[in-house]
Amino acid sequence: MSTIPGQVRLSWQDPVTGEQRSPLLTCPIAFGREFARMPAELNNHRVARIVLNSSQVSRYHTLIEWVQGHIRVTDQNSSNGTWVNGVLQPSCNVSNGDLLKIGPYEITLMFTLDGTGLPTAEASEQSIIQVPEPDSPVPAEPAAAPANVLPPACQAHQVVVQDLYATQLPVEEIDYLAVGAGLGSFIWVDFLRIFGAAPQQIRALGIENRPYARYQRLCLNSQIPPHERLRSNSDSCPDNIWGWPGYALREAWHEFNKGKLNPALQYLWQVFAEPTFAQTYTPRAGNVFASIDREAVRIGWPQIYQFGRVRAIRQTHDGRYAIAYSPGRKQTAFVVARYVHLATGYPVLQFLPDLKAYREQTRDFKSVVNAYEDHNHVYETLERQGGTVVLRGRGIVASRIIQRIHEARHRNSNIAILHLMRSPKPKGNRFRKAQRPVDNHFEFQPFNWPKACWGGTLRDELEQATPEQRTNLLADWGGTTTADRKDWKEIVQQGLDQGWYQITFGEVTRVVPNAQSRPTTYIQEKGPRGEIKLEADFIIDATGLDSKVKASPLLNDLVTHYNLPLNPAGRLAVANDFELLEMRNQNGRMYGAGAITFGGPYAAVDSFLGLQYTALRAVDGLVAARAPNLRRLNGIGSLLQWLKWAQNQAP
Amino acid sequence: MTPTLLGRWQTRILLMETVGLVVTLLFSGGILGSPESAIFLWLLQYIVVFGLGWDYVYIQIQTFRWDQDWPAALQWLAALWEGVFIVLLIEIVGVKLPGTAEDWHLGWFIVHYSFVWIAVFVTSQSLMRLIFPRWRFRGGQWL
Ligand SMILES: Cc1cc2nc3c(=O)[nH]c(=O)nc-3n(C[C@H](O)[C@H](O)[C@H](O)COP(=O)(O)OP(=O)(O)OC[C@H]3O[C@@H](n4cnc5c(N)ncnc54)[C@H](O)[C@@H]3O)c2cc1C
Repeated sequence: MSTIPGQVRLSWQDPVTGEQRSPLLTCPIAFGREFARMPAELNNHRVARIVLNSSQVSRYHTLIEWVQGHIRVTDQNSSNGTWVNGVLQPSCNVSNGDLLKIGPYEITLMFTLDGTGLPTAEASEQSIIQVPEPDSPVPAEPAAAPANVLPPACQAHQVVVQDLYATQLPVEEIDYLAVGAGLGSFIWVDFLRIFGAAPQQIRALGIENRPYARYQRLCLNSQIPPHERLRSNSDSCPDNIWGWPGYALREAWHEFNKGKLNPALQYLWQVFAEPTFAQTYTPRAGNVFASIDREAVRIGWPQIYQFGRVRAIRQTHDGRYAIAYSPGRKQTAFVVARYVHLATGYPVLQFLPDLKAYREQTRDFKSVVNAYEDHNHVYETLERQGGTVVLRGRGIVASRIIQRIHEARHRNSNIAILHLMRSPKPKGNRFRKAQRPVDNHFEFQPFNWPKACWGGTLRDELEQATPEQRTNLLADWGGTTTADRKDWKEIVQQGLDQGWYQITFGEVTRVVPNAQSRPTTYIQEKGPRGEIKLEADFIIDATGLDSKVKASPLLNDLVTHYNLPLNPAGRLAVANDFELLEMRNQNGRMYGAGAITFGGPYAAVDSFLGLQYTALRAVDGLVAARAPNLRRLNGIGSLLQWLKWAQNQAP
Repeated sequence: MTPTLLGRWQTRILLMETVGLVVTLLFSGGILGSPESAIFLWLLQYIVVFGLGWDYVYIQIQTFRWDQDWPAALQWLAALWEGVFIVLLIEIVGVKLPGTAEDWHLGWFIVHYSFVWIAVFVTSQSLMRLIFPRWRFRGGQWL
């Protein structure tokens, strides 16, 4: 609690990374795109300067001051204006709970005029939980533990390979090594194989033998069963580097062979007319997994994959990399490779601070859950005895949960959803001449980025931009969105009409158990109602995943040991071909892929198609570096490889 | 599709001058029953040259779309417009485009244009991706 008048708790969700920010600052507070353009001092008071990255934000945009017992917001002649509670305001006094909109940033202001009783909030960085894992003989390290399982030979800046042999521990030498063995690794290995590398030259280290194992678990937990459709394009095919034939054509063909002409034509029409004249086609989860299984056998993945939890990565003195891993409990082994690819996915789940605090205080892990955890008990209980769910977050996962609860209502109509949103969403993000559509406070976009981020004008523009411009562009294109699905819109409209689905806006101040030990959410509404109380049986946090490098013990050790730079989003800094330039070691090369490289040259790193783009750039880089057995794939050679794919022959 | 301007130009020139040319030769050689005439070859070049200008217009329209994309359906509408434009020029405005003074026949133009366009579209949706694996990530640039 604070006692200084003029103190304001700002709270917003970062449009680039989705992280929750909630600093407590003392007026005057300035907002703008350029730190140096904002005043350092005003009337002998030090100014708290907040940089908001977006081309919609002016260099010096808005000032918040403490004037004669009031908090006053004043626009600084910005190009796009300052909006308070949805109204354009050159200058006005604000009250507790008011919403400030500056470009794509929506900032809630919380304060008390005498400075007492301000809600406290945790720093977002601690508010994470581990990604659910299968039962494994080798447990993950606690996040803080250093790589102390390693022999002293590994503590050097560059290890000597003979020293590894001297430990008597198993050592394997190989050309190509993929760390993670998830989807990103699989796609890189697919490219290596098709570009000419043999299975004996490649090793993939991970803790699950199916490349999609972790992805599938996150899908199932977040309510995407095998027959449901994912959020990706027809030609985002992790099993096919050319993206042809896409899943729509395959599914249409399949239906056609079963004599079902109508669905076949519908899929083809969808890919033809999407997203303007038809709903975007997306493949069924089960079909994608089956196709990956086929490709895995074709490229020899079972031979390439090896179980192991990777503990540390070091350069060797002879221009390679030594990777220490645990093949079993309390065991250590090494792989030495010249070309290394890191794709370890999301290290942790983001968890709203108030919900995490609730779980820690009450030890109740059943009523308050994260959408990416296994939480089927919620739906089972609701189907049995009815109840109320408070839902937080408004992205695609929130949509899935609403759909799942709608299904549960067929079994028990006594179920209600209170959808808690931080602020109304009357209008979508703007980028130059374009604007994102909105309906019922949901912002729509077919995929998690505007389409041209994968291979169009926006990809080009981001790659050419400076690091600072990149952050601006990502803020303009980013933000939470869901897919424009007809069934979802109908469910929401029906729920609103029938009253079992309600949207409430406000900033959560605390979540505490009530007398019946049910989680009760207190929220700060703007206007006279002030604090209101929401009682529920369950709270589901559907706000997201976190991929900050510091959250992964493996990456954190790598970054600290080699003093690697991070990009402005706090992820690994990579070159345009995804090489970690600072890790280059004579002929040795190290590349990154997936969420751990977000914030750099490419927006859609965490997607099937993005992983294929990344792998293509990285393997092209390896061809240029004359890595063994790789040949550039193009023209007739590419066509011949595709024919092998079509006939299910090894590359 | 999410083309860039350079990608539109490169893809148009490549496909028109390969697949489009083969189809056109069938027409100019009279193999498909059309009168044997060089006009089809001339028309193909007009489609390419005017198209380079239209591509610039399409890229501008694309910037109004949030996804900055160009769905297949819009490709078809654009193709329709480009065909209509040539017909307007020759039939209504009466422009004397070199090489088109003789043998102009609206019916055969429609058949020729449709064949060329469908062949180009189908190739761009399939073979192009197989021969140029980087093409789809580079907004249609294959060079
Ligand atoms: C619910 C959900 C739905 C999604 N839907 C789509 C979609 O529809 N379309 C789309 O294109 N994208 C989608 N994505 C995004 C993306 O395609 C997936 O997240 C994809 O799995 C990312 O691949 P990855 O290799 O980066 O991570 P993962 O597939 O998670 O692989 C990382 C692997 O590394 C392993 N690992 C980590 N640390 C270590 C270590 N120290 N030692 C050994 N192994 C380690 C992990 O166990 C894991 O198996 C979705 C993501 C989620 C979460």
